[in-house]
Amino acid sequence: MSELQRLRDAFRTALDLPADAPVDDLRYQDNEKWDSLAHMSLVAAIEDEFSVMIDTDDVINMSSFDEAVRILGKYGVDVK
Amino acid sequence: MNLLHPDARVIDAVTGESLTPSLIDRFGEELADQKLVFLPMPTTIEAIAKYLAALRLHKPVVLLDPDADHAELIARYQADEVHPDLALLLTTSGSTGNPKLVRLSRSAVLANAEQVAESLGVTSDDVAITTLPLFYSYGLSVLHSHLLRGATVVLERTGLMQRDFWTAVDAFEVTSLAFVPYQYEMLRRLRFDPAKHPSVRTLTQAGGRLRAELITEFSQKMDAAGGRLFVMYGQTEAAPRMATLPPDRIADKIGSVGLAMPGASFAIEDDEVVYRGPNVMMGYAESGTDLAAGDQLGGVLRTGDLGRLDDEGFLFITGRLKRMGKVFGVRINLDDVERNFPITAVAGDDKLHVFAEDISADDARALRTKIAEWLGTHFSGVDVRSIEALPLLPNGKTDYRALEASL
Repeated sequence: MSELQRLRDAFRTALDLPADAPVDDLRYQDNEKWDSLAHMSLVAAIEDEFSVMIDTDDVINMSSFDEAVRILGKYGVDVK
Repeated sequence: MNLLHPDARVIDAVTGESLTPSLIDRFGEELADQKLVFLPMPTTIEAIAKYLAALRLHKPVVLLDPDADHAELIARYQADEVHPDLALLLTTSGSTGNPKLVRLSRSAVLANAEQVAESLGVTSDDVAITTLPLFYSYGLSVLHSHLLRGATVVLERTGLMQRDFWTAVDAFEVTSLAFVPYQYEMLRRLRFDPAKHPSVRTLTQAGGRLRAELITEFSQKMDAAGGRLFVMYGQTEAAPRMATLPPDRIADKIGSVGLAMPGASFAIEDDEVVYRGPNVMMGYAESGTDLAAGDQLGGVLRTGDLGRLDDEGFLFITGRLKRMGKVFGVRINLDDVERNFPITAVAGDDKLHVFAEDISADDARALRTKIAEWLGTHFSGVDVRSIEALPLLPNGKTDYRALEASL
């Protein structure tokens, strides 16, 4: 599975969305399921999926799907 | 005594808007012909102005979750007559199926605002920030105790997992943060370092039991930075705070929820924690006619918690009389959940664990969503598992202990 698919799946699992839900345009709190609790699940899911340890600053900056892609790049995960 | 000290300030971190006396006056005029105010309470200047206007006019206020539908509750609590002492009505749990209200008098609300302000040492130099909904008793208590002492309250709506929250903490030089147990788990995940936010001097914790390891960790962190962690205990029925653990006693009283509030006391009667104080509710209401009733408890609250007191008066909670759980700080009656869904429920730490006999993964997921919606809680607070057969006691009843042990 591509990195992009894996990241989409991590978002769907953490935000309790259906398997085919579009997630690429998601932003924090635009989606009612993406609140602080879901955010914690999301960060944990991304860390598990890509075997990375995300810094505090990156955790609180991860406010959209695009931001997550950018942040993962810093950890050497090329999402495309 | 007035809840709103003339020096108190409320500022919206996003809009920059402030609470002003004229805004409160304006909403007061709107409320003039209402006997009872049903107030959806988002974290906004406008909602706080309406709330304070109603209190000032001695009109009882029912505070409601602005994101939920309350048609049924509003219909149920229409009243021709309200008791003159009645000031505030709060729901006891997130459940929409059991809209019992706690009746709080004006004097109980003021007494508890004073007790909290005194036990935390709140002064006019303090700056609090919203971390919890204002219709939830702990969030409201933070507002009350700071308004009373002429302190500042900053309104923030994104929460501690977002950059905007911490930017506001630093920009407004916030001194005090109030969190429930799951938020301490988040703080740990964020590797919260008080040295990075030097204005923060006080952390408070309530809304359920925080595990000892985290109490110790945050207490030591705050201590090292010259600040303090207050562990507290309360119930909406006590407006809401009943006990505070003095920060300098955390190390030798780990696991305790502290000492009774100033002017109050605890006793253990048949293993149950009984609280006596000026902040105890008048009683519950289950219909509009109950709103005319006077004080039914005389300052004595049977908490439904089991506990013990040590020789210095420190309270330790050991369990619950009824089958209750807490999810994200909100109380949940497990029997209520079982009455409304074909499942068996037990409580974990900040989580509701639900067992259903032989259901598919898809059905389990759908059930989780339904139960969470019914409770008005986040889906991640509900865990649904399929089980072949429920364990039973010799008398044929469900063996809840065995289910808890299987978690």
